[in-house]
Amino acid sequence: MRLRVAGGTDLGRKRTINEDAFACHPEIGVLVVCDGMGGEAAGEVASQLAVETISRQLNGADRWARGPSPLPTSGFLPRTRRLGAALQLSNRAIYEQARKITEQTGMGTTAVGVWIEDNLLSLAHVGDSRAYLWRHGNLERLTNDHSLVEEMLRAGLWTEEQARTSTQQSVLLRVLGREAEVDVDLAEIPMMPGDYLLLCSDGLSRMVTDEALADTITRVREPEAICQSLIAQANENGGVDNITVVVAEVCKEGFWRRLWNMLWE
Amino acid sequence: MPKMVLKFEDRILREVPVSTSAVTIGRLPNNVVAIDNPAVSGQHARVIVEGGQFVVEDLNSRNGTFVNNQAVTKHVLQEGDIIRIGKHTLTFYGIGKGEAIPDTAPAGAAAAPPVQDLGGTVFLDTKSQKELLAKAKAAAQAQAQAAASAEPGTPAAQPAAPVAVPRAAAAVPTKVGVLTVVSGSTDKKQYVLETQTALVGKSDTALIRLKGWFKPQVAAAITRKGSAYMITPLAGKSQINGQPLRQGYELKPGDVLNICGVTLQFSHQE
Repeated sequence: MRLRVAGGTDLGRKRTINEDAFACHPEIGVLVVCDGMGGEAAGEVASQLAVETISRQLNGADRWARGPSPLPTSGFLPRTRRLGAALQLSNRAIYEQARKITEQTGMGTTAVGVWIEDNLLSLAHVGDSRAYLWRHGNLERLTNDHSLVEEMLRAGLWTEEQARTSTQQSVLLRVLGREAEVDVDLAEIPMMPGDYLLLCSDGLSRMVTDEALADTITRVREPEAICQSLIAQANENGGVDNITVVVAEVCKEGFWRRLWNMLWE
Repeated sequence: MPKMVLKFEDRILREVPVSTSAVTIGRLPNNVVAIDNPAVSGQHARVIVEGGQFVVEDLNSRNGTFVNNQAVTKHVLQEGDIIRIGKHTLTFYGIGKGEAIPDTAPAGAAAAPPVQDLGGTVFLDTKSQKELLAKAKAAAQAQAQAAASAEPGTPAAQPAAPVAVPRAAAAVPTKVGVLTVVSGSTDKKQYVLETQTALVGKSDTALIRLKGWFKPQVAAAITRKGSAYMITPLAGKSQINGQPLRQGYELKPGDVLNICGVTLQFSHQE
Protein backbone atom coordinates (compact mmCIF):
# COMPACT_ATOMS: atom_id res chain seq x y z
CA MET A 1 0.00 0.00 0.00
CA ARG A 2 1.28 3.42 -0.92
CA LEU A 3 0.24 6.79 0.49
CA ARG A 4 0.41 10.21 -1.08
CA VAL A 5 0.42 12.73 1.75
CA ALA A 6 0.32 16.51 1.99
CA GLY A 7 -0.22 18.90 4.85
CA GLY A 8 -0.51 22.62 5.38
CA THR A 9 -1.17 25.10 8.13
CA ASP A 10 -2.21 28.74 8.00
CA LEU A 11 -2.57 31.56 10.50
CA GLY A 12 -6.09 32.42 9.35
CA ARG A 13 -7.31 36.01 9.25
CA LYS A 14 -7.96 36.86 12.89
CA ARG A 15 -5.13 35.35 14.92
CA THR A 16 -1.61 36.63 15.42
CA ILE A 17 0.02 33.33 16.32
CA ASN A 18 -0.45 29.88 14.90
CA GLU A 19 -1.16 27.45 17.73
CA ASP A 20 -1.76 24.50 15.41
CA ALA A 21 0.89 21.92 14.63
CA PHE A 22 1.02 18.87 12.42
CA ALA A 23 3.37 16.07 11.40
CA CYS A 24 3.39 13.72 8.40
CA HIS A 25 5.50 10.57 8.34
CA PRO A 26 4.29 8.85 5.18
CA GLU A 27 7.11 6.29 5.40
CA ILE A 28 5.58 4.76 8.53
CA GLY A 29 2.02 5.90 7.79
CA VAL A 30 1.74 8.24 10.79
CA LEU A 31 -0.09 11.58 10.59
CA VAL A 32 -0.91 13.94 13.45
CA VAL A 33 -2.80 17.24 13.76
CA CYS A 34 -2.88 19.22 17.02
CA ASP A 35 -4.61 22.47 17.94
CA GLY A 36 -3.11 24.11 21.00
CA MET A 37 -4.74 26.33 23.59
CA GLY A 38 -3.40 28.54 26.35
CA GLY A 39 -2.51 32.21 26.35
CA GLU A 40 0.95 33.78 25.87
CA ALA A 41 2.05 31.44 23.10
CA ALA A 42 1.73 28.41 25.41
CA GLY A 43 -0.78 26.81 23.06
CA GLU A 44 1.92 26.72 20.45
CA VAL A 45 4.23 24.94 22.86
CA ALA A 46 1.59 22.36 23.77
CA SER A 47 0.65 21.45 20.20
CA GLN A 48 4.30 21.26 19.14
CA LEU A 49 5.19 19.12 22.12
CA ALA A 50 2.27 16.78 21.39
CA VAL A 51 3.21 16.36 17.73
CA GLU A 52 6.83 15.65 18.67
CA THR A 53 6.14 13.17 21.47
CA ILE A 54 3.58 11.28 19.41
CA SER A 55 5.86 11.09 16.38
CA ARG A 56 8.83 10.00 18.47
CA GLN A 57 6.81 7.32 20.22
CA LEU A 58 5.70 5.77 16.99
CA ASN A 59 9.08 6.06 15.39
CA GLY A 60 10.23 3.76 18.11
CA ALA A 61 12.88 6.00 19.65
CA ASP A 62 11.04 6.03 22.96
CA ARG A 63 10.23 2.38 22.82
CA TRP A 64 11.84 1.60 26.13
CA ALA A 65 10.67 4.71 27.93
CA ARG A 66 8.24 3.95 30.73
CA GLY A 67 4.84 4.47 29.25
CA PRO A 68 1.52 5.05 30.96
CA SER A 69 -0.57 2.07 31.96
CA PRO A 70 -1.42 0.15 28.81
CA LEU A 71 -4.84 0.82 27.37
CA PRO A 72 -7.47 -1.82 28.03
CA THR A 73 -7.14 -4.40 25.32
CA SER A 74 -10.79 -3.98 24.25
CA GLY A 75 -10.28 -5.82 21.00
CA PHE A 76 -8.07 -3.29 19.24
CA LEU A 77 -4.94 -4.25 17.33
CA PRO A 78 -1.63 -3.72 19.15
CA ARG A 79 -0.70 -0.86 16.85
CA THR A 80 -3.94 0.97 17.59
CA ARG A 81 -3.31 0.61 21.29
CA ARG A 82 0.23 1.85 20.81
CA LEU A 83 -1.09 4.93 19.03
CA GLY A 84 -3.50 5.55 21.89
CA ALA A 85 -0.70 5.11 24.41
CA ALA A 86 1.39 7.64 22.46
CA LEU A 87 -1.36 10.23 22.93
CA GLN A 88 -1.58 9.42 26.63
CA LEU A 89 2.16 9.72 27.01
CA SER A 90 2.15 13.09 25.30
CA ASN A 91 -0.67 14.13 27.64
CA ARG A 92 1.61 13.37 30.54
CA ALA A 93 4.55 15.21 28.96
CA ILE A 94 2.51 18.40 28.43
CA TYR A 95 0.93 18.16 31.88
CA GLU A 96 4.33 17.82 33.58
CA GLN A 97 5.87 20.67 31.60
CA ALA A 98 2.90 22.96 32.29
CA ARG A 99 3.34 22.34 36.00
CA LYS A 100 7.04 23.15 35.92
CA ILE A 101 6.98 26.31 33.78
CA THR A 102 4.75 29.06 35.17
CA GLU A 103 4.15 30.80 31.84
CA GLN A 104 2.83 27.57 30.41
CA THR A 105 0.35 26.79 33.16
CA GLY A 106 -2.95 25.62 31.78
CA MET A 107 -1.74 24.91 28.29
CA GLY A 108 -3.33 22.07 26.41
CA THR A 109 -3.93 20.75 22.95
CA THR A 110 -6.30 18.65 20.92
CA ALA A 111 -4.82 15.76 18.98
CA VAL A 112 -5.97 13.55 16.17
CA GLY A 113 -3.47 10.92 15.14
CA VAL A 114 -3.58 8.07 12.65
CA TRP A 115 -1.37 5.16 11.82
CA ILE A 116 -2.03 3.52 8.46
CA GLU A 117 -0.52 0.14 7.76
CA ASP A 118 -1.70 -2.88 5.80
CA ASN A 119 -4.70 -0.92 4.51
CA LEU A 120 -5.93 -0.46 8.02
CA LEU A 121 -6.32 2.94 9.61
CA SER A 122 -5.76 3.14 13.36
CA LEU A 123 -7.25 6.33 14.71
CA ALA A 124 -6.88 8.02 18.10
CA HIS A 125 -8.18 11.40 19.11
CA VAL A 126 -8.82 13.83 21.94
CA GLY A 127 -10.59 17.17 21.50
CA ASP A 128 -12.30 18.70 18.50
CA SER A 129 -9.76 18.21 15.73
CA ARG A 130 -11.33 15.84 13.24
CA ALA A 131 -10.68 12.97 10.86
CA TYR A 132 -12.78 12.36 7.75
CA LEU A 133 -12.78 9.51 5.27
CA TRP A 134 -13.65 10.19 1.64
CA ARG A 135 -14.71 7.12 -0.36
CA HIS A 136 -16.38 7.15 -3.78
CA GLY A 137 -17.50 10.74 -3.35
CA ASN A 138 -18.95 10.27 0.15
CA LEU A 139 -17.41 11.93 3.14
CA GLU A 140 -17.70 10.24 6.50
CA ARG A 141 -16.64 11.86 9.75
CA LEU A 142 -14.64 9.38 11.80
CA THR A 143 -14.35 11.33 15.06
CA ASN A 144 -16.73 12.76 17.65
CA ASP A 145 -15.76 16.18 18.94
CA HIS A 146 -15.08 16.13 22.65
CA SER A 147 -16.93 19.38 23.05
CA LEU A 148 -19.78 20.44 25.30
CA VAL A 149 -22.03 20.97 22.30
CA GLU A 150 -21.56 17.46 20.92
CA GLU A 151 -21.76 15.86 24.34
CA MET A 152 -25.12 17.56 24.99
CA LEU A 153 -26.34 16.41 21.59
CA ARG A 154 -25.22 12.84 22.20
CA ALA A 155 -26.81 12.79 25.64
CA GLY A 156 -30.04 13.92 23.95
CA LEU A 157 -30.18 17.02 26.14
CA TRP A 158 -29.91 19.54 23.33
CA THR A 159 -31.54 19.67 19.93
CA GLU A 160 -29.51 20.21 16.74
CA GLU A 161 -30.78 23.76 16.68
CA GLN A 162 -29.66 24.49 20.22
CA ALA A 163 -26.27 22.97 19.51
CA ARG A 164 -25.84 25.01 16.35
CA THR A 165 -26.73 28.31 17.97
CA SER A 166 -25.06 27.72 21.32
CA THR A 167 -22.57 30.33 22.46
CA GLN A 168 -20.47 27.59 23.98
CA GLN A 169 -18.99 26.20 20.74
CA SER A 170 -15.45 26.47 22.06
CA VAL A 171 -15.93 24.55 25.28
CA LEU A 172 -13.86 21.37 25.11
CA LEU A 173 -14.34 18.46 27.49
CA ARG A 174 -11.13 16.59 26.77
CA VAL A 175 -7.72 17.86 25.73
CA LEU A 176 -4.14 16.71 26.14
CA GLY A 177 -2.15 18.29 28.96
CA ARG A 178 -4.81 19.63 31.29
CA GLU A 179 -5.29 16.64 33.54
CA ALA A 180 -2.93 13.88 34.63
CA GLU A 181 -4.95 11.18 32.87
CA VAL A 182 -6.93 11.41 29.68
CA ASP A 183 -9.31 9.08 27.85
CA VAL A 184 -8.37 8.58 24.23
CA ASP A 185 -10.98 7.49 21.69
CA LEU A 186 -9.76 4.71 19.39
CA ALA A 187 -11.08 3.34 16.13
CA GLU A 188 -9.98 1.05 13.31
CA ILE A 189 -11.15 1.60 9.77
CA PRO A 190 -10.19 -0.39 6.67
CA MET A 191 -8.89 1.79 3.84
CA MET A 192 -9.36 0.91 0.20
CA PRO A 193 -7.27 2.12 -2.72
CA GLY A 194 -8.77 5.41 -3.90
CA ASP A 195 -9.77 6.50 -0.38
CA TYR A 196 -8.74 9.87 0.99
CA LEU A 197 -8.18 10.63 4.64
CA LEU A 198 -8.48 14.20 5.88
CA LEU A 199 -7.32 15.44 9.27
CA CYS A 200 -8.03 19.02 10.30
CA SER A 201 -8.24 21.50 13.13
CA ASP A 202 -11.53 23.24 13.93
CA GLY A 203 -10.26 26.28 12.02
CA LEU A 204 -11.18 24.30 8.91
CA SER A 205 -14.21 22.31 10.04
CA ARG A 206 -15.98 25.40 11.40
CA MET A 207 -15.32 27.50 8.32
CA VAL A 208 -15.96 24.96 5.58
CA THR A 209 -19.02 22.70 5.48
CA ASP A 210 -18.74 18.94 5.16
CA GLU A 211 -20.33 19.18 1.70
CA ALA A 212 -17.63 21.61 0.56
CA LEU A 213 -14.92 19.31 1.95
CA ALA A 214 -16.32 16.35 0.03
CA ASP A 215 -16.76 18.40 -3.09
CA THR A 216 -13.20 19.72 -2.99
CA ILE A 217 -11.70 16.24 -2.70
CA THR A 218 -13.96 14.95 -5.50
CA ARG A 219 -12.90 17.80 -7.78
CA VAL A 220 -9.21 18.17 -6.95
CA ARG A 221 -7.92 14.65 -6.13
CA GLU A 222 -4.34 15.82 -5.56
CA PRO A 223 -3.41 15.92 -1.82
CA GLU A 224 -1.24 19.04 -2.00
CA ALA A 225 -3.81 20.94 -4.06
CA ILE A 226 -6.67 19.80 -1.79
CA CYS A 227 -4.86 21.25 1.25
CA GLN A 228 -4.23 24.57 -0.48
CA SER A 229 -7.78 24.81 -1.75
CA LEU A 230 -9.32 24.04 1.65
CA ILE A 231 -7.12 26.56 3.45
CA ALA A 232 -8.09 29.19 0.88
CA GLN A 233 -11.79 28.38 1.36
CA ALA A 234 -11.52 28.62 5.16
CA ASN A 235 -9.89 32.05 4.82
CA GLU A 236 -12.52 33.21 2.35
CA ASN A 237 -15.24 32.21 4.79
CA GLY A 238 -13.72 34.28 7.58
CA GLY A 239 -10.61 32.44 8.75
CA VAL A 240 -11.36 33.13 12.41
CA ASP A 241 -8.93 30.50 13.71
CA ASN A 242 -5.71 28.82 12.64
CA ILE A 243 -6.33 26.33 9.85
CA THR A 244 -4.52 23.02 9.55
CA VAL A 245 -5.20 20.28 7.00
CA VAL A 246 -3.50 16.97 6.31
CA VAL A 247 -4.64 14.83 3.40
CA ALA A 248 -3.57 11.28 2.57
CA GLU A 249 -4.55 9.40 -0.54
CA VAL A 250 -4.38 5.60 -0.64
CA CYS A 251 -2.92 4.75 -4.04
CA LYS A 252 -3.44 1.60 -5.98
CA GLU A 253 -0.13 -0.08 -6.51
CA GLY A 254 1.15 -0.80 -9.98
CA PHE A 255 1.44 -4.33 -11.36
CA TRP A 256 5.21 -4.64 -10.92
CA ARG A 257 5.07 -3.32 -7.40
CA ARG A 258 2.40 -5.88 -6.50
CA LEU A 259 4.45 -8.64 -8.05
CA TRP A 260 7.49 -7.48 -6.07
CA ASN A 261 5.43 -7.47 -2.87
CA MET A 262 4.14 -10.96 -3.53
CA LEU A 263 7.59 -12.34 -4.05
CA TRP A 264 9.44 -10.59 -1.29
CA GLU A 265 7.12 -9.86 1.57
CA MET B 1 -29.39 34.04 22.94
CA PRO B 2 -30.92 36.49 25.45
CA LYS B 3 -28.66 37.32 28.33
CA MET B 4 -28.13 39.49 31.36
CA VAL B 5 -24.90 41.19 32.30
CA LEU B 6 -24.25 41.10 36.04
CA LYS B 7 -22.44 44.13 37.42
CA PHE B 8 -21.40 45.28 40.86
CA GLU B 9 -21.36 49.08 40.76
CA ASP B 10 -19.53 49.59 37.45
CA ARG B 11 -17.62 46.34 37.35
CA ILE B 12 -18.86 43.58 35.02
CA LEU B 13 -18.89 40.30 36.91
CA ARG B 14 -20.29 37.91 34.35
CA GLU B 15 -22.85 37.24 31.69
CA VAL B 16 -25.87 35.12 32.47
CA PRO B 17 -27.64 33.42 29.57
CA VAL B 18 -31.41 33.59 29.89
CA SER B 19 -33.56 30.76 28.66
CA THR B 20 -36.91 29.19 29.34
CA SER B 21 -35.68 27.57 32.53
CA ALA B 22 -36.01 30.04 35.36
CA VAL B 23 -32.98 32.11 36.28
CA THR B 24 -33.13 32.44 40.03
CA ILE B 25 -31.31 35.25 41.79
CA GLY B 26 -30.47 35.25 45.49
CA ARG B 27 -27.89 35.04 48.21
CA LEU B 28 -27.98 31.29 48.65
CA PRO B 29 -25.63 29.20 46.52
CA ASN B 30 -28.45 27.14 45.00
CA ASN B 31 -29.48 30.13 42.88
CA VAL B 32 -28.44 30.32 39.23
CA VAL B 33 -27.15 33.81 39.99
CA ALA B 34 -25.84 33.60 43.53
CA ILE B 35 -24.90 37.00 44.96
CA ASP B 36 -23.18 36.68 48.29
CA ASN B 37 -24.18 40.01 49.79
CA PRO B 38 -26.23 40.74 52.92
CA ALA B 39 -28.47 43.16 50.99
CA VAL B 40 -29.72 40.25 48.91
CA SER B 41 -32.37 37.86 50.18
CA GLY B 42 -31.84 34.11 50.09
CA GLN B 43 -34.35 33.72 47.26
CA HIS B 44 -34.58 37.25 45.94
CA ALA B 45 -36.03 37.26 42.46
CA ARG B 46 -36.27 35.24 39.30
CA VAL B 47 -36.48 35.72 35.54
CA ILE B 48 -38.97 33.47 33.79
CA VAL B 49 -40.83 33.24 30.51
CA GLU B 50 -44.53 34.09 30.52
CA GLY B 51 -46.63 34.37 27.40
CA GLY B 52 -43.54 34.43 25.21
CA GLN B 53 -41.95 37.30 27.15
CA PHE B 54 -39.22 37.43 29.72
CA VAL B 55 -40.49 38.55 33.08
CA VAL B 56 -38.61 39.46 36.24
CA GLU B 57 -40.47 38.63 39.43
CA ASP B 58 -39.64 39.66 42.96
CA LEU B 59 -39.88 36.76 45.41
CA ASN B 60 -40.96 38.83 48.44
CA SER B 61 -37.44 39.98 49.02
CA ARG B 62 -36.61 42.11 52.01
CA ASN B 63 -34.97 44.94 50.07
CA GLY B 64 -36.99 44.73 46.89
CA THR B 65 -36.22 44.39 43.20
CA PHE B 66 -35.92 47.47 41.03
CA VAL B 67 -36.17 47.83 37.28
CA ASN B 68 -34.85 51.13 35.95
CA ASN B 69 -35.03 52.41 39.53
CA GLN B 70 -38.73 51.56 39.99
CA ALA B 71 -39.62 48.98 42.60
CA VAL B 72 -41.41 46.09 40.90
CA THR B 73 -43.08 42.87 41.93
CA LYS B 74 -43.45 41.66 38.36
CA HIS B 75 -42.19 43.34 35.21
CA VAL B 76 -41.98 42.41 31.53
CA LEU B 77 -38.37 42.91 30.49
CA GLN B 78 -37.51 45.19 27.60
CA GLU B 79 -34.19 45.49 25.81
CA GLY B 80 -31.68 47.30 28.02
CA ASP B 81 -33.73 47.15 31.23
CA ILE B 82 -31.57 47.36 34.32
CA ILE B 83 -32.62 45.11 37.18
CA ARG B 84 -31.13 46.29 40.49
CA ILE B 85 -30.80 44.02 43.47
CA GLY B 86 -28.92 45.63 46.35
CA LYS B 87 -25.85 47.17 44.79
CA HIS B 88 -25.77 44.61 41.97
CA THR B 89 -27.37 45.23 38.60
CA LEU B 90 -28.39 42.89 35.82
CA THR B 91 -28.80 44.50 32.40
CA PHE B 92 -31.15 42.58 30.13
CA TYR B 93 -30.29 42.08 26.47
CA GLY B 94 -33.17 40.40 24.73
CA ILE B 95 -33.43 38.62 21.46
CA GLY B 96 -33.06 40.35 18.15
CA LYS B 97 -36.03 41.01 15.88
CA GLY B 98 -37.34 37.95 14.10
CA GLU B 99 -35.80 35.59 16.59
CA ALA B 100 -38.20 33.60 18.66
CA ILE B 101 -37.82 32.65 22.26
CA PRO B 102 -36.50 29.09 22.25
CA ASP B 103 -39.19 26.49 22.96
CA THR B 104 -36.92 24.33 24.95
CA ALA B 105 -34.48 25.36 27.56
CA PRO B 106 -30.87 24.76 26.68
CA ALA B 107 -30.71 22.78 29.86
CA GLY B 108 -27.65 23.50 31.84
CA ALA B 109 -26.66 26.56 29.85
CA ALA B 110 -27.92 28.79 32.61
CA ALA B 111 -26.06 26.75 35.13
CA ALA B 112 -22.74 26.62 33.33
CA PRO B 113 -19.90 26.75 35.81
CA PRO B 114 -17.20 29.32 35.27
CA VAL B 115 -14.73 28.15 32.67
CA GLN B 116 -11.29 29.39 31.88
CA ASP B 117 -11.01 31.17 28.58
CA LEU B 118 -7.79 30.53 26.69
CA GLY B 119 -7.74 32.54 23.53
CA GLY B 120 -11.15 31.47 22.34
CA THR B 121 -10.93 27.82 23.24
CA VAL B 122 -12.13 26.82 26.65
CA PHE B 123 -11.53 23.66 28.59
CA LEU B 124 -13.96 22.29 31.11
CA ASP B 125 -12.28 20.03 33.65
CA THR B 126 -13.74 16.63 34.38
CA LYS B 127 -15.30 17.66 37.68
CA SER B 128 -17.18 20.67 36.26
CA GLN B 129 -18.25 18.55 33.29
CA LYS B 130 -19.85 15.95 35.49
CA GLU B 131 -21.63 18.61 37.51
CA LEU B 132 -22.82 20.33 34.37
CA LEU B 133 -24.10 17.15 32.77
CA ALA B 134 -25.80 16.03 35.96
CA LYS B 135 -27.51 19.42 36.25
CA ALA B 136 -28.56 19.37 32.63
CA LYS B 137 -29.98 15.88 32.98
CA ALA B 138 -31.85 16.78 36.15
CA ALA B 139 -33.24 19.89 34.50
CA ALA B 140 -34.38 17.89 31.48
CA GLN B 141 -36.00 15.29 33.69
CA ALA B 142 -37.76 17.91 35.79
CA GLN B 143 -39.04 19.45 32.61
CA ALA B 144 -40.30 16.11 31.33
CA GLN B 145 -42.04 15.39 34.59
CA ALA B 146 -43.60 18.83 34.66
CA ALA B 147 -44.81 18.30 31.12
CA ALA B 148 -46.15 14.85 31.93
CA SER B 149 -47.90 15.81 35.15
CA ALA B 150 -49.48 18.99 33.81
CA GLU B 151 -53.13 18.50 32.95
CA PRO B 152 -53.88 18.06 29.29
CA GLY B 153 -55.44 21.13 27.74
CA THR B 154 -53.47 23.52 29.89
CA PRO B 155 -51.39 25.72 27.64
CA ALA B 156 -48.41 25.25 29.94
CA ALA B 157 -48.41 21.54 29.17
CA GLN B 158 -46.23 21.96 26.12
CA PRO B 159 -44.13 18.87 25.81
CA ALA B 160 -40.49 19.48 26.50
CA ALA B 161 -39.58 18.53 22.96
CA PRO B 162 -36.92 15.87 22.42
CA VAL B 163 -34.80 17.33 25.18
CA ALA B 164 -35.93 14.98 27.88
CA VAL B 165 -35.88 11.77 25.88
CA PRO B 166 -32.97 9.74 27.20
CA ARG B 167 -31.31 7.64 24.59
CA ALA B 168 -32.40 4.08 25.04
CA ALA B 169 -29.46 2.25 26.50
CA ALA B 170 -28.33 -0.66 24.38
CA ALA B 171 -29.81 -3.36 26.57
CA VAL B 172 -29.69 -5.90 23.75
CA PRO B 173 -26.78 -8.27 24.33
CA THR B 174 -24.27 -8.05 21.52
CA LYS B 175 -23.82 -11.12 19.40
CA VAL B 176 -20.40 -12.37 18.51
CA GLY B 177 -19.74 -13.32 14.91
CA VAL B 178 -18.02 -16.52 13.83
CA LEU B 179 -16.41 -17.44 10.52
CA THR B 180 -16.25 -21.15 9.77
CA VAL B 181 -13.86 -22.35 7.10
CA VAL B 182 -15.70 -24.30 4.40
CA SER B 183 -12.71 -24.88 2.15
CA GLY B 184 -9.22 -23.56 1.53
CA SER B 185 -5.91 -23.39 3.32
CA THR B 186 -5.95 -21.49 6.62
CA ASP B 187 -4.40 -21.94 10.06
CA LYS B 188 -7.67 -22.75 11.87
CA LYS B 189 -11.09 -24.15 11.07
CA GLN B 190 -13.10 -21.53 12.89
CA TYR B 191 -12.51 -17.92 13.85
CA VAL B 192 -14.39 -16.03 16.55
CA LEU B 193 -14.65 -12.34 15.69
CA GLU B 194 -14.21 -10.83 19.14
CA THR B 195 -11.92 -7.98 18.22
CA GLN B 196 -12.77 -4.58 16.82
CA THR B 197 -11.09 -5.43 13.54
CA ALA B 198 -10.20 -8.82 12.14
CA LEU B 199 -7.83 -8.87 9.17
CA VAL B 200 -7.73 -11.58 6.53
CA GLY B 201 -4.40 -12.03 4.77
CA LYS B 202 -0.80 -13.13 4.99
CA SER B 203 0.16 -10.37 7.43
CA ASP B 204 1.33 -11.24 10.97
CA THR B 205 -1.45 -9.09 12.38
CA ALA B 206 -4.14 -11.00 10.47
CA LEU B 207 -6.59 -13.09 12.48
CA ILE B 208 -7.40 -15.27 9.50
CA ARG B 209 -4.03 -16.20 8.09
CA LEU B 210 -3.97 -17.02 4.41
CA LYS B 211 -1.21 -19.32 3.23
CA GLY B 212 0.39 -19.30 -0.16
CA TRP B 213 2.80 -17.30 -2.29
CA PHE B 214 0.36 -15.18 -4.16
CA LYS B 215 -1.91 -14.21 -1.31
CA PRO B 216 -2.05 -10.51 -0.39
CA GLN B 217 -0.79 -9.19 2.94
CA VAL B 218 -4.27 -7.98 3.82
CA ALA B 219 -7.09 -9.17 1.59
CA ALA B 220 -10.03 -7.94 3.64
CA ALA B 221 -10.87 -6.37 6.96
CA ILE B 222 -13.91 -7.20 9.09
CA THR B 223 -14.83 -4.40 11.45
CA ARG B 224 -17.27 -4.75 14.29
CA LYS B 225 -19.82 -2.31 15.65
CA GLY B 226 -21.73 -4.05 18.41
CA SER B 227 -23.41 -7.01 16.74
CA ALA B 228 -22.88 -5.66 13.22
CA TYR B 229 -19.93 -6.87 11.17
CA MET B 230 -18.79 -5.05 8.07
CA ILE B 231 -16.40 -6.59 5.59
CA THR B 232 -14.27 -4.36 3.38
CA PRO B 233 -12.28 -5.90 0.52
CA LEU B 234 -8.76 -4.51 0.29
CA ALA B 235 -6.74 -6.60 -2.14
CA GLY B 236 -7.09 -9.68 -4.30
CA LYS B 237 -10.40 -11.18 -5.39
CA SER B 238 -13.23 -11.58 -2.92
CA GLN B 239 -16.79 -12.77 -3.37
CA ILE B 240 -19.89 -12.68 -1.21
CA ASN B 241 -22.56 -15.30 -1.93
CA GLY B 242 -21.06 -15.75 -5.37
CA GLN B 243 -21.11 -12.04 -6.24
CA PRO B 244 -17.92 -9.99 -6.54
CA LEU B 245 -17.27 -7.99 -3.36
CA ARG B 246 -16.14 -4.49 -4.27
CA GLN B 247 -17.40 -2.35 -1.41
CA GLY B 248 -18.08 -2.57 2.28
CA TYR B 249 -20.80 -5.13 3.05
CA GLU B 250 -22.62 -5.91 6.28
CA LEU B 251 -22.44 -9.62 7.01
CA LYS B 252 -25.62 -11.54 7.76
CA PRO B 253 -25.72 -15.05 9.27
CA GLY B 254 -25.47 -17.61 6.50
CA ASP B 255 -23.44 -15.41 4.14
CA VAL B 256 -20.72 -17.26 2.31
CA LEU B 257 -17.49 -15.42 1.70
CA ASN B 258 -14.73 -16.30 -0.67
CA ILE B 259 -11.50 -14.45 -0.01
CA CYS B 260 -8.61 -15.29 -2.32
CA GLY B 261 -9.68 -18.90 -2.71
CA VAL B 262 -10.69 -19.50 0.93
CA THR B 263 -14.40 -20.05 1.53
CA LEU B 264 -15.85 -19.03 4.87
CA GLN B 265 -19.36 -18.95 6.28
CA PHE B 266 -20.53 -16.25 8.67
CA SER B 267 -22.79 -16.99 11.64
CA HIS B 268 -23.47 -15.74 15.14
CA GLN B 269 -22.07 -17.58 18.12
CA GLU B 270 -24.65 -19.53 20.12
